[in-house]
Order: sequence, then C-alpha cells, then structure tokens
Amino acid sequence: MSHLTIAMPKGRIFEEAYQMLIEAGFNLPEEVEMSRKLMIEIPEEQIRFILAKPTDVPVYVEHGVADLGIAGKDTLLELRRNVHELLDLKISQCYIASAGLPNTTMNEIAPRIATKYPNIAMNYYKEIGEQVEIIELNGSIELAPMIGLADRIVDIVSTGRTLKENGLVEYEHITDVSSRLIANPVSYRMKSSRIQELVSRMKKIVI
Amino acid sequence: MSSIKMFEKPLGMRDTFPITYEKTEEVRQIGREFLRARGFDFIQTPSLEYFDTVGKASAIYDASLFKLVDSQGNTLVLRPDMTTPIARVATSKLLKEKIPLRLAYFANVFRAQQTEGGRPAEFGQMGIEIIGDGSVFADAEVIMTVIHLIQAFGIDSFKITIGHAGVLNCILKDYTESMEQAVALRTLLVERNYVGFEQAVESFNLPKTKSDALLQFISEATNFVTIQDIEKYVRKNDALEYMQQLVELIDAANLSEYVALDFTLSSHMNYYTGMLFEVFAEGSGFALGNGGRYDGLLHHFGTKVGATGFGIRVDRLLEVIPSKPTTSESIGVIFEEEALFIKALEMANSFREEGKRVTLQSRKGLVDENAFAKHFDQILYVSQEDLVE
Repeated sequence: MSHLTIAMPKGRIFEEAYQMLIEAGFNLPEEVEMSRKLMIEIPEEQIRFILAKPTDVPVYVEHGVADLGIAGKDTLLELRRNVHELLDLKISQCYIASAGLPNTTMNEIAPRIATKYPNIAMNYYKEIGEQVEIIELNGSIELAPMIGLADRIVDIVSTGRTLKENGLVEYEHITDVSSRLIANPVSYRMKSSRIQELVSRMKKIVI
Repeated sequence: MSSIKMFEKPLGMRDTFPITYEKTEEVRQIGREFLRARGFDFIQTPSLEYFDTVGKASAIYDASLFKLVDSQGNTLVLRPDMTTPIARVATSKLLKEKIPLRLAYFANVFRAQQTEGGRPAEFGQMGIEIIGDGSVFADAEVIMTVIHLIQAFGIDSFKITIGHAGVLNCILKDYTESMEQAVALRTLLVERNYVGFEQAVESFNLPKTKSDALLQFISEATNFVTIQDIEKYVRKNDALEYMQQLVELIDAANLSEYVALDFTLSSHMNYYTGMLFEVFAEGSGFALGNGGRYDGLLHHFGTKVGATGFGIRVDRLLEVIPSKPTTSESIGVIFEEEALFIKALEMANSFREEGKRVTLQSRKGLVDENAFAKHFDQILYVSQEDLVE
C-alpha cells in the first residue's frame, strides 16, 4: 500500500474533514492532539496529515509534497493552481458576493472594488463587461465602503450577519463555495488505486 | 519594486552548476544514442521566432511567452516549445525531401513565470516528432518510444495515460443538448475540475438518461483498465476504432502495464484532434511530459499531413532519474616551481591518457592548498626528487 500525504487546513475544516474520514471507515484516533503540531502520522493507515494555512493547501498539492488536500473553492478559484478537483465535501458551505452601501451605484469613471480575492473579483467584473480597479485587502473588508475606500467589496458570505452589522447590502451573488478534495496530477496517476478508493469511500459520506 | 541586486537573475532563470550540467549531458547522450538508433534525426531551430508564426501557433498560453521587438518593429518570441518550430521547418522545407520525417530534438525552451519561483522559465526539452504519417502505427511508435526511452534512463515507476479527443468529443456531443454545453464540459475537463463537471451536468437539466450517463462516465473514465470499458459510452466511430487498434498494438509490444486509459484527457489547444497522452513518474510533483497527434498544427502551417510526437522535460527528468556515483577518478597535480612544470605536465598527460581527470596547478597560484586538495580523489606533488629520477 502506498503512503498518502494529505494537506489539511487548520481549524474547523480539519475537524469536520477528519470526522468524515473516520465515518468513511478510516482507522484514525478519535482525538488528535493538535496544539502546535504541523504533521500527524497515522501509521495504521499509512496516512500523514500536514496542517497548513487554508490558502496554502493548493500550493503543497500542486508541488506534489502532498498527494491530496482539502481546500476551499474560493482558494482554488483565486490561486488557479494546477490540481485535480475530485470531490465536493459539502462542508463549510458559503458563497462569494459583492456588497456595498445600500442604494448606491458604482462610480462611473473608475469603480473601485476592495477584496481579498483580486483574481475572482477581476474575472467576475470582466465577465459582466465592467472595468474596475481592484484594491487588495487582507481583512475587515467591510470597512472599505464605509469609509469611502471602495464602491463595492467582493468577499465570502456565510450568514450575511457581518454585512448587516456593518450596514452593507449584498448586490451580486458571484459563486458558491465549499471545501473540495484536490489531488496532485502525478499522485493521482501513480497512487491511483489508493486515491480512487479514498474518493469512493468519502463520496458515500458526503450528504 | 526594489532595485535589482548584482547577484539577481530574471524570475525563473537558473544557473546550471557542474553537477547538474554533467547529469544533463548524460541524459543528452543516452537520449541521443537511443533515438538515433531508432532512426530519428536530431535538428535544432533558432531560439527566436516571429510571434505571428510560431508564437501564435504554439500551444503555450500567450501570457507565458517572452516577447521582444526586432529593429524592424516585428514582435519576436523566445521559442516556448519545439513542436511548433519543427512544424514550421518541416512544412516549409524538410517534408519536400523526405516523408514521413522522424525528427528529434534536445533544446531549451522559454516560458515566462508570473507568479512565483519553484519552477524554471527556461528548461531543456527532449522529444520526437513523426511528421507525414497519419497512421495508428506512428502513434504506437511514439508511445513505444517514450516508454523505452524512460526505461533507458533507469526509471521503473512511471505511467503513460492515453486519451483521444475524438472519443471525448463524441461523448460530450451525444450526451448534451447543445454545442455550448459540450464546450463548457470540455473546458472543465481541461482544468481537471471533476466536481465542476458534475455540477455543470446537473445544472443543464438534461434528460435523465443523458445526465446519468455523463455522471457515470466521469466517475469511471479516469480509471478504465481496458478499452472495452469505454465502448458502452460511445457509438461506433473512427476514433474508437483507432483507439482499439492502438491498444492492441501496445498490448502486442508487451507494454500495457505502463499504460492507463483516460478518456477525460483534453487539451486547451483545439489542434490536438486525435490521441493524446501524458507521462507521469514517481519522484516529481509535475508531469514528466506529454504528447499526441497534432495534425491540426500542420494544417495551420498549410500542409495536410499527419503529425504526432512527444516532449519530455529534462529538468523533471533529472529529479526522477536515480543518481549514481561519478566514475572517473580525479587527480590534482601540484608543482612547486617553474623547473618542475615540464615534469608535472608529462605526469598529468600520462594520467589523462589512462582516462583520468587531471588538474594541473602551480603552488604559486594557490591561496589555500588544503581547501583546494579537498576537491580531488587524489593529490600528487611534483618535487625535486621526481626530476632527479
């Protein structure tokens, strides 16, 4: 049996995905001591988990240092890494939308969009035939329209509460997001039987 | 942007140090002997080509091209692949002399990096092209050649996955309701987005028989063991028969253990009209190479003949090839003073004739003798006594 390295995002997604693997019948310890460990070895199953920042998972997988990974669709769309997208795990479901102050239109000359997702935002506005200027921010995106930095923001929305609390309204639904199982193209071939088996077992668990 | 420091190179450009250089030369030599013995002639094309000819026709994305402007204002590109320049030279000249042509190359190609390091913007590529033969035997020859070539490098764990654009297009056309749907699905397969494929199929509101067939196809199609597995999805057509024949030939050559079928394989370039394949080997995170039939490219250059071939990336090959110790012994001959030079030279030359690697070095030119000596298997000093002898 070949050895599998799986890159996992730290935090809640790790726990949910880990539970799914247990449900799929993988022999994993119920409790994993996470603390500050970056690598978890499961010798019984010949699996090694590496714990990474969510946006780094596709990078590990593309370079082949991890065979598989679990990554949000938002990250995949933003980074456009060369990986195979195998399965929608349907966990941490949310969507990407544009939002802004209520009853406003975008500046006609140079509409400005604040976002953590410059590529997704750029592609979306290109598709609808609108030339915009992107302002890249790393957090608290909702601030941008409130203080006049941007006309719209493009960000992830799960319940819409953050938008509401900051007096913003949603304008356009851009795309749905959930966690995906991804694979390195070479691993997908060279460890094909193991990966296929894992995918078919996981597929039965996905609601 | 910070200013450029003296040690910096453009993004993705790499120096080749002696160890890598030697390994590359070895690969070149093995590959050259192997391919020449199979009747392939090596050729070389210029590093610079016109954007309007080779640049536009190349399968490489426009954003990856290095572009320059010549003194007449024409846009030039650093060749991003070898297949396109070879198609150019074959259609304009070589095909008039010999047909079919069997050509081989070992050359550097250039692809600009936008995002990050970790991959080179200039790298060696080795490959073959069979031009002017549209038969299935040419495709079989290409696949057999790539398998045997990889084996010649001492690599055991590798896989060739083969698909056919004609088979895939037939399936996509038959089970969708419009051209747009088929194109959308094909695009998702180029990106290897199987999740997106399933979602798209569900969103099309196809008749249940069609959508079920597509969903089942996508769950199975990357792992077909035999050619019979695909037959239930496709009506009898030329592409399917072609693949059946190709698989038979590979079986007959006893190479089927290295081959897997993947009918979702698709290229973003529409001139890959026939069979196409990818080469994977354990030890590199990226595909080793790819190939296929590209008759459409020849048509683009105005000649209606068949063409097929493969290219392997030398940088990835080096990652995968098992390393072996260097064989030739290195000797340093150090001489003290001018009077001993002739003696030292004679000594060095006699070792060189024995096939050893000999460095001749005067002691006067050395700063740190011990540090220098560490680079050799053996150090010999030429002293006064040698002269007396």
